[in-house]
Amino acid sequence: MENKLSMEQVFEKLGDLKQFFIFGQKIVPLFKKIIDFMTDIVPLLENVNNSIQDTTSKIPKAAHQINSVTSATEIATSEILDIVDSMSNDMTKIKNELSDLKNGFLNQRVALDAFAQKVPASSETLEELKSNLSIDELESKVISLEEVINKIELDATNITISLQVQDITAQQLASVNHLIHSVQEKLSSLMVDFNKQEGFVLLDTETPKVDPKVFNPNAKYDRSEAHQSVADQLIEQAKRNNNDNGNKTSQEEIDKLFRNNG
Amino acid sequence: MALKFLVVDDSVTMRRIVANSLKSIGYDNFVEASDGKEALTKLNSDDSINFVITDWNMPEVSGLELVRAIRSDEKRQAIPILMVTTRGLKEDILEALQAKVNNYIVKPFTPQILREKIEQILASA
Repeated sequence: MENKLSMEQVFEKLGDLKQFFIFGQKIVPLFKKIIDFMTDIVPLLENVNNSIQDTTSKIPKAAHQINSVTSATEIATSEILDIVDSMSNDMTKIKNELSDLKNGFLNQRVALDAFAQKVPASSETLEELKSNLSIDELESKVISLEEVINKIELDATNITISLQVQDITAQQLASVNHLIHSVQEKLSSLMVDFNKQEGFVLLDTETPKVDPKVFNPNAKYDRSEAHQSVADQLIEQAKRNNNDNGNKTSQEEIDKLFRNNG
Repeated sequence: MALKFLVVDDSVTMRRIVANSLKSIGYDNFVEASDGKEALTKLNSDDSINFVITDWNMPEVSGLELVRAIRSDEKRQAIPILMVTTRGLKEDILEALQAKVNNYIVKPFTPQILREKIEQILASA
């Protein structure tokens, strides 16, 4: 009786074992697939890790290059402004000289007229002299030169306006550097996580930090004056509100301006 | 009253452009500061400064912080302040207005706009 019971237990265990082998037959291909996947994925992860390391090490160089661009454009802009200043000074001198010339023509005319009055008999000779002196012709040349000078001055002003692009692009580049710094921080923390087991030490390749206060991420070079027009409207409206309310700009009024201007 | 401007901008280029523009419209009495902190030092040491032209985005003390500091200083709260900045969004302009700037110029600007805004401020003073 006892032997029968033992045999039943043995058969039961063998049944379990059989189930286990059947399960094993099913699971082994899955393990094999996992192992194959790991074999494929590990080099890939190593590749990703190496790429991140490589990229992270290159980021500071890129950030420094951006800073170099900003410095270079600032120096170049300063040089251009020196030239524009020098041109403006020269233009002022030329304008003064031309003004003196115009006064000279006027004085010549006055002197000739005075002489003609003193010596009426000489009027014919004086007219001939006037004609030979070509005062009118020379004066009109001076006037046209003044117009050219005025145009050059206007061009110089336009160059100065255009040079404001340096400040605007410097802010855009600072914004890019700020972004680069954030990306580098994330990548560095990823690298530390990847290499935790190996006592990994992160290389000191920090990008220069950019204070977010120093740039406007929305800075753009736009000469359309659309933004200026909005500013003018808001200032005008604020002035009207101030006049109505005894020079106070309350939060309520600011909210009202927001509502009125969409 | 003779005007003495304080031109505040962290960009050397912009300080020069503002200074040149001021000269071109007939104002040649000005001093410069490279951020809000230096501006406050200059304001404290030079009582003859009676007009501030400031940028917004600057290190240390920003233009907006400078405006608030001036407006909260009993001695200097009436100084006219003109903000010259790249910040052209409505929200920015309203924030500057709330801080009590007298007028606002969006870069890039022309000397004519600068003259117009200075004259508007002086006329309403």
